[in-house]
Amino acid sequence: MIDLKSVNYDRVLRRYDIQMEAKETPEDIASKMVPQDPLLRKVAEDVVFMRYKNVQDDVAAALESFSPEDIIDKGLVKGMDVVSELYGRGIYYLPHVMVAADAMDRGVKLCESKMASAREAKGKVVMHVAEGDPHDIGKNIAAVLLKSNGFNVIDMGRDVAVEDVVKTVESEKPNLVTGTALMTTTMTAFPKVADRLAEKGINIPFICAGGAVNRAYVESYPMGVFAEKAAQGPPLANKVIEGWDWRKLREDWDKLVGGA
Amino acid sequence: MALKRYTKMEYGSPDEMVFGEAKYPVSYGLGQTVGAGMVIPEINFAPRPGAEKNPETLRREYVDYITKDILDRAITLGFPAVQLENEHVFQMVNEPEKFEKPVVAGQKELMQKYHDEYGIALSIRHTIADPRLAEEGLRPGMDQKHSYPEKMFEAFEVAAANGADLLSIETMGGKEVADYAILRQDIRGWLFGIGYLGSLDMEWVWPQIVEIAKKNKIRAGGDTNCAGANTSMFMAGGYLDKDIPRTFSAVTRAIASARSLVAWEAGASGPDKDCGYEGPILKSIAGKPCAQEGKGAQCAHADLMGNLIAQVCDLWSNESVEYHPEFGGSSVQCWLGNIGYEAALMNTAKQLKQDKLLRDLYMATDRYRSPESFILAYDNAYKIGQAIVENGNDIYLRAKAAGMTAARLIEEESKAGKLKLSKHEQDMLRRIITDLSALPDEQGKFVDQCLKAYKDIPMFNPKNYDL
Repeated sequence: MIDLKSVNYDRVLRRYDIQMEAKETPEDIASKMVPQDPLLRKVAEDVVFMRYKNVQDDVAAALESFSPEDIIDKGLVKGMDVVSELYGRGIYYLPHVMVAADAMDRGVKLCESKMASAREAKGKVVMHVAEGDPHDIGKNIAAVLLKSNGFNVIDMGRDVAVEDVVKTVESEKPNLVTGTALMTTTMTAFPKVADRLAEKGINIPFICAGGAVNRAYVESYPMGVFAEKAAQGPPLANKVIEGWDWRKLREDWDKLVGGA
Repeated sequence: MALKRYTKMEYGSPDEMVFGEAKYPVSYGLGQTVGAGMVIPEINFAPRPGAEKNPETLRREYVDYITKDILDRAITLGFPAVQLENEHVFQMVNEPEKFEKPVVAGQKELMQKYHDEYGIALSIRHTIADPRLAEEGLRPGMDQKHSYPEKMFEAFEVAAANGADLLSIETMGGKEVADYAILRQDIRGWLFGIGYLGSLDMEWVWPQIVEIAKKNKIRAGGDTNCAGANTSMFMAGGYLDKDIPRTFSAVTRAIASARSLVAWEAGASGPDKDCGYEGPILKSIAGKPCAQEGKGAQCAHADLMGNLIAQVCDLWSNESVEYHPEFGGSSVQCWLGNIGYEAALMNTAKQLKQDKLLRDLYMATDRYRSPESFILAYDNAYKIGQAIVENGNDIYLRAKAAGMTAARLIEEESKAGKLKLSKHEQDMLRRIITDLSALPDEQGKFVDQCLKAYKDIPMFNPKNYDL
């Protein structure tokens, strides 16, 4: 092998990620964002620092002083807000978000078991992977992110037939539907789904994403709204809840997902 | 059929490995020999959306447009040998007689015409889609809804009987566990999913592919852990990505190599699949030809080892490109030009006996670009190969040893050498070493532990693996 000692690697590559590494720690950022009350703070920190083994005990302790609704909104969701901030700044990686979401989910379940009526979700999303396509990791990530943002997710799984998607949308009446596909010849199920929904008089945003999927393709059929990555799901879904239709989402797409 | 485990290295030292030469060259197709002194471009493609509308539209896309464009450009640019790879779309595996047969037969007929007319060496790899769903069942008789396991083998038979020269697949065994583990940075779960379950699935699938190839007098090529290690690699991404740390991705690649080796242990001759970046490790162990992709596959993905991964390849590929027009011709013509010229550079270097210098230049440019490129540099790939063969008879121990060797190589170089790691990459590396060190020394104990720990993973069914 040739001797590499004389190679000045600064002329060959640059580790921009290390150069730009954040100096702030998760603790610095969390301390500015978590609630001041010690009980709620503990719950929020369980989510931020992924202490999923502690979260149930800490939620149980908080339930002695706070309503389940308050613990969800002011403790667990606050914690998840910190996680989103850390992910956005590049301090946390995706697996941190997934594990934090698991912790939050445990806390939410305990709170919900103490509530008189079911907690009202922000909105409902039907999710599926296109017929003939077994690649579902992107859909699974998006489902976790939407759930942790307060959405009720109906996850239909992978390799889902067009008619099954249409039937589920008809019966569940979601605010939006999503579809993912890796391949050029499976994403062609999306316009079929859109056509069949239109035939049924359904007109909701249909967020489509995945390996070979691109914006031009998704915007070639009615209802289609493109998402480049899973993290763009919540900002798009939040706008749907605010009343944006698929045309408005397309129009303001660049502005909306630019930071996601 | 019994598997022949590798318990010693076929190469005596890393320096013996170079592009365009394998210990065991393979001949097939229309005058093609791979690994015998030449690097051959392997062009891969995907049909446009909508081409799958009916069997005739799909045949026309693959044969009249894609294959013809490739062959015309190969002659135009004067390439002496070209391999095509057809990664089958879902429709071809779902209804093989209807969709697959006309495409496979049509491509071969056209290739024969160009071979006869110009004397160009040609071959085609058919990579059958693995549509099996863990939740429905991976073995015949289990999937009552789609019969995917049965259809998958039917698709192999149809391809083999109608013009395939080389059979490959990207098996999906263990992916349901690996996907869960990757999102939680759980190296034990990933080792269980790919190193163990993935190997078990391949031990069942590959002897059958080898038999089909033998029966039809063609070749069984190899597998790739595209579904696992490439998922890691793509998620780890480049310097702007924050999905998973690149140290995790590097270790998963090493583990995947112990699993992808199973195809060759089952009797496949190689060359393996281009998107298996574990190829240098496999070649160091078995001496069979390997297909690789890197800078000529930017149409499909941006990896951090575009040059390095060419170091010991026998086929040089573009991964996959959707068929569409570019200024320089159709996309397949442009990317064939890209990989064909690179192969010409390598082949000229061989003729001038400068191939080992070029190999080292490829390797040197990306050696420190990422932890994954570092462990795949041919000298390190060889060390991982050694760790695998030392534990060659035990699919768990060898996968664990491969992962640990990769982790230690990265650790050592990041402390004393030129490999830089971000803080999160360092944290992850420490955790991986701790987690792997804590694992049992016996396969049985590991499996018991994992069956308990991962029993609730959605879609994981031990019966898929005879467990």
